[in-house]
Amino acid sequence: MASILFLVIATIGLATALGTVLSRNLVRAGLYLVAFFFAVACLFVLLEAEFLAAIQVLVYIGAVAILLMFGIMLTRDTMGDDTTAIPVGWMVPGLFGGLCVFAVLVVGINNSIAPSGWSPWEGTSSRPSIVKEEAEPGWVAERREAVNDMGRVIGVELMTRYVVPFEVAGLLLTAALVGAIALAHREDPDPKPPRSANRAAGPGAGDGPSTEAEEPVASSVSS
Amino acid sequence: MNNDIPLNWFLYFAAASFAIGLVGVLLRRNAIAVLMAIEIILNAANVNLVAFWRYGTPAPGSGPLPGVILAILVITVAAAEVAVGIGLILLCYRRWRVADVDRYDTMSG
Amino acid sequence: MPPTAPPLDFRDFWRIAPAATLALWGLVVVLTDLGLARRLGLEARRRVVGRLALAGVGLALISAVALFWLDSLAAVDPERLRQLLGASLGDYFARSGEVIFLGALASGVSVDILNFLYLILLALVIQLATSYRFTDDWGECLALLIWATVGMMFLSAAEELATLFLSLEMMTICLYLLTAFEKSRRRSVEAGLKYFIYGSVSSALFLYGLSLVYGLAGTTRFDAIERILAGTSTTAPGLVGNLAGASALLLMLVGFGFKIAAVPFHQWAPDAYEGAPAPVAAWIVTGSKIASIVALMKVFLHAARPWSFPSNDMMGPGWVGIIAVVSAVTMTYGNLAALVQTNFKRMLAYSSIAHGGYILVGLAAAAVSINGPAAAGALLYYLVIYAFSNLGAFAVAAWLVRDRSADEIDDLNGMGAERPLLALCLAFLMLSLIGVPPFGGFFGKLYVFMEALNQGPSQTRIILVWLVALGLLNSAISAFYYVRVLKAMYFRPRSGAGLKPAKSAIATPVLLSTLVVVVFGLFPQPLVDLMKSAAGPMLVSSSADAPISAPPAVSTAPGAAAR
Repeated sequence: MASILFLVIATIGLATALGTVLSRNLVRAGLYLVAFFFAVACLFVLLEAEFLAAIQVLVYIGAVAILLMFGIMLTRDTMGDDTTAIPVGWMVPGLFGGLCVFAVLVVGINNSIAPSGWSPWEGTSSRPSIVKEEAEPGWVAERREAVNDMGRVIGVELMTRYVVPFEVAGLLLTAALVGAIALAHREDPDPKPPRSANRAAGPGAGDGPSTEAEEPVASSVSS
Repeated sequence: MNNDIPLNWFLYFAAASFAIGLVGVLLRRNAIAVLMAIEIILNAANVNLVAFWRYGTPAPGSGPLPGVILAILVITVAAAEVAVGIGLILLCYRRWRVADVDRYDTMSG
Repeated sequence: MPPTAPPLDFRDFWRIAPAATLALWGLVVVLTDLGLARRLGLEARRRVVGRLALAGVGLALISAVALFWLDSLAAVDPERLRQLLGASLGDYFARSGEVIFLGALASGVSVDILNFLYLILLALVIQLATSYRFTDDWGECLALLIWATVGMMFLSAAEELATLFLSLEMMTICLYLLTAFEKSRRRSVEAGLKYFIYGSVSSALFLYGLSLVYGLAGTTRFDAIERILAGTSTTAPGLVGNLAGASALLLMLVGFGFKIAAVPFHQWAPDAYEGAPAPVAAWIVTGSKIASIVALMKVFLHAARPWSFPSNDMMGPGWVGIIAVVSAVTMTYGNLAALVQTNFKRMLAYSSIAHGGYILVGLAAAAVSINGPAAAGALLYYLVIYAFSNLGAFAVAAWLVRDRSADEIDDLNGMGAERPLLALCLAFLMLSLIGVPPFGGFFGKLYVFMEALNQGPSQTRIILVWLVALGLLNSAISAFYYVRVLKAMYFRPRSGAGLKPAKSAIATPVLLSTLVVVVFGLFPQPLVDLMKSAAGPMLVSSSADAPISAPPAVSTAPGAAAR
């Protein structure tokens, strides 16, 4: 039962990943990416890390994918001219190369050598049990508590054993915020108003009204 | 349950996602498409980490959840990276109206 | 609440005082620039914010020196520590050199020395950053420089893969942002985006390799990984048959190779160094490279040491062979490409790529030398000299940009006559980069190459001799393009308007760098000994970590895993 579920989710995941990479239209690629993130979240649930699945959905789908969509919309390369897709001549060599990389990794995974006394990856056909028994190794109790009460244990770990990476992550987010705003904000007056360049360069009926609409959106997003 | 999912299946999925992401990174020419492929690779690494955590036996000294904590930190870094990337891409777009990685050739040599 | 939290010793926070001070001070700088300093004019604001940043670096320097003094006192006279600090803190500081934060960071004299180095370099870079106007967002710029340094400090002290990855990303994300900071120039923005794309790809590959290493070892701590990898060598030495391990190491090498601009992962470097504002380029070339090399040393010489060259065969299953090949290619390509450059910053970029090659020779040497981990001290000495030489050179590049808005080598014409003292300093720096005695660069290369040849009876000697010979040949080739700078300064008449006097913001970095290079060239031994004593403990498992016993064999029979 679990195997069938895994196969379905994995197929969906790989298909959407392929869709992201091969699609000409960037908006469609973004939507495929959202589906891929969701498939990965389902895999986390299968691995009994439900807290992580929730974080994956909230952060990746709720923030990263939305941000990518903003980026796509603001750069307006959505209709897939030749520059956004993989050049046709490279498609077959690219797929062949990808298959080679995959084959190397699969061979490596199948033949990995484990430290003495541990089971190699190939032989691990089922996960260590966390059902309470009398004669269990010491770490099983810890893991059972971790799996059953993951939020609390993550909090404890992030505040004790992993406090340095945690604080650095906080500082990283602050730095990214400060830097990205400093880079992207518009000074007044803007030295090269894009409006005049656009009128000079852009043909076609679609450019006029949508540029008007783009300017206020862009300035409200970036200021 | 007797018919549990073998560990290798998760690893194959991660390896396949890694290969797909790598192909995307090397072949796509739009900067945002490259960012999306990078996210696929990061997610493959996350699946690896959590699968190894659940199916492995822990070494003493690392705590009960190293794989999951690493995955959370990776998600954080990925979010920050995408924010920085979109900021830089928008900055470039304002100059040249394209978001193509290869078109930036003012410097040569 | 059940008391299952692992016991974190809160006194550990004293040991990260320099990095914590810098992190908070970055916020202070940003807030001051946005709040108090807005009323001032542009020039005044630049000066005020610059001085404020330097004050913060000064505070961090005081704490770094205090920690160094406490750690050296702990080795000599622990009783005095207890008298000075009281019982609890005194006992804590008497145990110097252990891993802190339950295994996340290292501590001790080596960490203190590296922190001190980063802080000195940061002070010079901040001074350089306030020397000319390349942006209007001074608070954000200096705060990002400061926060990048926090990343570097944690990167050099990391004892664990999580800390390593986070601090690596911290450092490089700040540098991506800084590279694009000169928004008004097209080349800066383009450089920032290129650096970002290449960097993010390589860090994603690095992370996948990291996940495979975690899978192989079951833990993220370096000393535990070393023990576990040593345990596999009875069944199959090194990477023999271990394709997953080989791919993991290779992927991590790709990530690190990008950070140190090794060929073929160097594509971003010339554009980034040319496009970035000169102070930022100086920080990427010096600080980021030092921190990345130290992290590379820790991962490959400490965590992956059992896989360096098992079975004593050079091209056998180990990473020494790969590093040697990468080093040879990097040296040669960097030097040959620098020969044809006319832009000063671009020439410095390729020259620093070539120096990355020599540094990798040092890494291979530290793996095979009979001095063991102490051989990495030669590498650290080389890094110090390399950092100061390049800092001085980029300071001159900043001067050129300030006055001429261009940094071609021709812009240096006639500087020898006009500004003799600073031209002499640049001449000394160029000579040190070539490796001419009696400057520091000569001794750096001498010690590194000597360590590469200093091996016991093994077959790796042969190939490393070849590598050293290639290194010497490359140093000779490199003389041609460094001498071109000297020719422009002394033998060509001035072209165009002259350079205005270099104010202290530019003169101080140049003078101080030259001083360091000359002094440690005339008296290299103290610094080399200091670095050797620092490198040894950094790469060896400390005594206070938990012993790893083989965990109980997990039964893989499906029936036993009843849920």
